[in-house]
Amino acid sequence: MNTAELIARLAADPAPTPRGGVVRRLAPPILAGGAVAATILMLWLGLRPLAQASQTGAFWMKATYTLAMAWAGMMLMERLGRPGRRVGASPLIGVIAAAALGLLALIEVVQAGGSQAAALWLGQTWNVCSLRIVVIAAPIFIGAVLAMRGLAPTRLAAAGAAAGLFAGGAGASLYGLYCQETAAPFVLVWYSLGIAACVGVGALCGPRLLRW
Amino acid sequence: MSGEEPRLKALMIRGLDGDGAAHGQLLSAMSGYLRAYFHRRLGPAFADAEDLVQETLLAIHLKRDAFDRRQPFTPWAHAVARYKLLDHFRRLRSRTTVPIEDAGELFSQENSEEGAVRHDIAKLLASLPARQRALLTDVKLAGLSMDEAARRGEMSVTAAKVAVHRSMKRLASKVADEHR
Repeated sequence: MNTAELIARLAADPAPTPRGGVVRRLAPPILAGGAVAATILMLWLGLRPLAQASQTGAFWMKATYTLAMAWAGMMLMERLGRPGRRVGASPLIGVIAAAALGLLALIEVVQAGGSQAAALWLGQTWNVCSLRIVVIAAPIFIGAVLAMRGLAPTRLAAAGAAAGLFAGGAGASLYGLYCQETAAPFVLVWYSLGIAACVGVGALCGPRLLRW
Repeated sequence: MSGEEPRLKALMIRGLDGDGAAHGQLLSAMSGYLRAYFHRRLGPAFADAEDLVQETLLAIHLKRDAFDRRQPFTPWAHAVARYKLLDHFRRLRSRTTVPIEDAGELFSQENSEEGAVRHDIAKLLASLPARQRALLTDVKLAGLSMDEAARRGEMSVTAAKVAVHRSMKRLASKVADEHR
């Protein structure tokens, strides 16, 4: 087929594109991934009594950090999913949240003094936390990749990493509904490690999964 | 940003709203820019340019709803074209790099006819046996004399003349076939 014929054929199929069509296309796979992740969490680990948990500052500290990461991932996905857009300041909220958590962790460690500090870093569940976050994030990551394929990413590794950041942040937010750790240093290390693993997987898989 | 931005963006928006004629105009205009851009970037491998033009036009069409109406069109189109070019190089496993560039790079030249013609000639020549192709390229495209071309092809001048004549006849009948 020559180019003129191709153009004629494409112009004959100008189904109007609804405004906000992208959101309608992005939302279903991500919500489906989130639903699967929530189901895994409840069948596997269960939830803490939320009424009681949400009274504690630690619960909100974790939720703020992980939701900020998910939000930053979402902003990055939107930017990196559209050709020609710059990333700009969109990941700033994640940087701010990480800096705030780092400061909080430092304060807690200093206040606890030398012998207590190790308990703050390791908590009771350091050996399972990051891995659990990755497992819960997995279905969300799949949903985010499917959503990304509906867009047109041109930097595939970065776009995959953004999907990983979103999935990691969202997965960690769900895991926070179960996790009973309360120390900022613990969250800073093990939550971040789980999220970072998702980012790394996304960056590695992006070039293969997101080509168009 | 390109001086074409207002016109192309308007066509894009009308196309998104379902105006097929505007969409066709946009794609036609883009095909000229894309052809020149890919020729420039591919250099001697320009025979692939027309495929890339078509692939990119198709991508612009299929990925329309990843276009944000609040954003300018030319950087969007440039990013799509550049992505298709890089993807092409990736497929070739070539290590060619494309320098950092801005959207003006895509819209700096237009090429509506010449590229398509060169593409057609390359395709036609490919249908000839290697010796005839080399001879014909030397005589008709590179402008060598019949003597020089015969010497390069290590054949007599008479044989070269006959071969050129036959090749031309063969190409002519092939073109006639395609247009029937």
